[in-house]
Amino acid sequence: MPVVELRKARKEYRLGQTRVEALRGVDLEIERGEFLAVAGPSGSGKSTMLNLVGCIDVPSSGQVLVDGVEVGSLGDRELTRYRREKIGFIFQSFNLIPVLDVYENIEFPLLLKKGFAKKEREALVMRFVEEVGLADRLRNKPGELSGGQRQRVAIARALVSKPLIVLADEPTANLDSETGARIVELMRQINEEEGTTFIFSTHDAHIMGKARRVVRILDGRVEDAGAAPGTGKE
Amino acid sequence: MLTLKLALRTLARRSGRMALIGSLVALGTFVVVFGATFASSAAEASRDAIVEHFTGDLIVYSSKAKDLPSPFAFNTPLPRIRDAEAVEAFLRALPGVRAIAPYAQNYGIVQAEREGRKVDLPFVFYAIEPASYAEVFGPIRPSSGSALGGSGGERGLMISEYQNGQYEENYGLRLAPGERVTLLGVTEGGVGAAASTVLGTFAPERYASVFNYINFLDAGSYAELYSFAGVEALPEAFERGLAAAEAGEDAIFGLAGDASLSSLDLGGLVAAPLSGATMIAVRLEGRGRLREVMGAIEGAGAGLEIKAAPWDAASGFYAQISRALQAFIFAATALIFLVVALIFTNTLIINVTERAAEIGTMRALGADRSFVGGLFVAEALALNLASAAVGMLAAGAAILAFAGRGLPLPETVSQFLIGGGPLPLRPAAWPFALGTAVAVLVSILATAYPVRVAASIAPVKAMGDK
Repeated sequence: MPVVELRKARKEYRLGQTRVEALRGVDLEIERGEFLAVAGPSGSGKSTMLNLVGCIDVPSSGQVLVDGVEVGSLGDRELTRYRREKIGFIFQSFNLIPVLDVYENIEFPLLLKKGFAKKEREALVMRFVEEVGLADRLRNKPGELSGGQRQRVAIARALVSKPLIVLADEPTANLDSETGARIVELMRQINEEEGTTFIFSTHDAHIMGKARRVVRILDGRVEDAGAAPGTGKE
Repeated sequence: MLTLKLALRTLARRSGRMALIGSLVALGTFVVVFGATFASSAAEASRDAIVEHFTGDLIVYSSKAKDLPSPFAFNTPLPRIRDAEAVEAFLRALPGVRAIAPYAQNYGIVQAEREGRKVDLPFVFYAIEPASYAEVFGPIRPSSGSALGGSGGERGLMISEYQNGQYEENYGLRLAPGERVTLLGVTEGGVGAAASTVLGTFAPERYASVFNYINFLDAGSYAELYSFAGVEALPEAFERGLAAAEAGEDAIFGLAGDASLSSLDLGGLVAAPLSGATMIAVRLEGRGRLREVMGAIEGAGAGLEIKAAPWDAASGFYAQISRALQAFIFAATALIFLVVALIFTNTLIINVTERAAEIGTMRALGADRSFVGGLFVAEALALNLASAAVGMLAAGAAILAFAGRGLPLPETVSQFLIGGGPLPLRPAAWPFALGTAVAVLVSILATAYPVRVAASIAPVKAMGDK
């Protein structure tokens, strides 16, 4: 069963008097464990698609199924719980909480999820801190970190609660090319080691090359869904 | 714990803006606590001053009076209390009554002689029984000469120093202690006259703006001046006649042959002065007994032809001034806090707008609306309670500083409020409880709308920070 399934998913926005069709009936299936890039120029609908998959937005029509659940039918409370349990986010601008230090930022999703003892939280945080190589910056605030370091914190935060899917919206856009490449390499390494599904948007050809599947979007439509590994279409 | 940590650190991060808001809240709390203490102290002191100088705890007066008693009804005195002696006896026997003082207000003329010329001086006065007056209002201490009703039971009048100065300024003479004068008073039958003596002068310690213009006359001289007199006892035959009149026609005709009624010896009648009191000030054992004593007086009112007014109703405009001041202070405080609440709301809205991406991120990571709402409430409460504590500490220090030596007031305000002098503040716990309650209330009210806005921020706003 696909971990993500979009069926004729449409999304419209109103910008003043203008109606904008961001997604125009997208059909797409993403399998568990994929390392998938959504590619397309600015305004093509990449972020909108990630928003729908990440349950932070709902489609205007059509269906979005995450782990078999049609998210459009969920209320705000259920969507919040669903995000908390199934999705990890990596944002283009890192979106770390400025008043929390590295350790606390990574711990934050565990505190929201609840049910983790202090020792358990500490073990999980430290494991991912070491994974992203920031063990020596634990007590630094986001403002004291470089862009690459902040994005590493964001990756650790996205992974710490063991989500089903990690969504990364242009995770390298605010990084230099070398750092960006290292970040994508880290994501890919975790994907291989943990089996976590990674879906990231980019319009950087070099980053795209690191993905095992590339879905190309143009004007709100899927131009090329690529081929999922193991389907015999790659 | 997470919410509180985030709230406190966010406040610290935005310390400049939060210091401004905190200062306003601290100032508002200071005004609430200090203002409430000032208002309640002024109310208490004003009550005490009115009770101790004008009215006692209540005033008993004639049930025929159309107006309430007032310290200033010199030109339209209340009707005389019909049977003042019986009323006084009734009041003295009432449980809870500590002391009573019958007195009257009126005006007349003091006629003095200078170089063979008679000079008429206007004279506004309280007619008092010195001993009972002193029991209720304290003694009138002479600044020159002697006091009314001293060890020799002196009768006469006491003139205020200020009034005497006015006489000198306007009439070219100053009354001197020991000086013989003639009192003239307008009565229903013409003008009454009585010889009297200026016993002394006084300078009022409190309510100078009132007592500078009021002089004192002993009640006996007053009764004489206005011819308030009866007889000690009627001839025995006259008593029988009155009894027959009560019994009916047969009894009256039954007296037809009574020789003792044919000629009454009026030469044997002995005059007895009647009290001219229009009011009786009553001091109680404690202010808590007011209702009980008022009730007892109302119960006996019809027979004795009296009614009673509590101190505030009998104080003229003094109690109203005190209440108006309290209302003003509370209104001003409410206005200050309304402004603080509006500024606070506005600042929080700006904060919410500025932090939309941060809130969206939290929502995307799985924070529900109540977490976001709680975060802003915690920020507001932490800031407001800390600021309120600062305001309360400052207010507490100021209250303690002015509790001993009193708060200096403009003389005019002080005269109307407490009869003059600084106002000693009376520390109490309730203004501090009120300050805390107002700070919490303002936090909740001012946060309600921003919290709604913050909680409604969609998680997709996390993406808006590109």
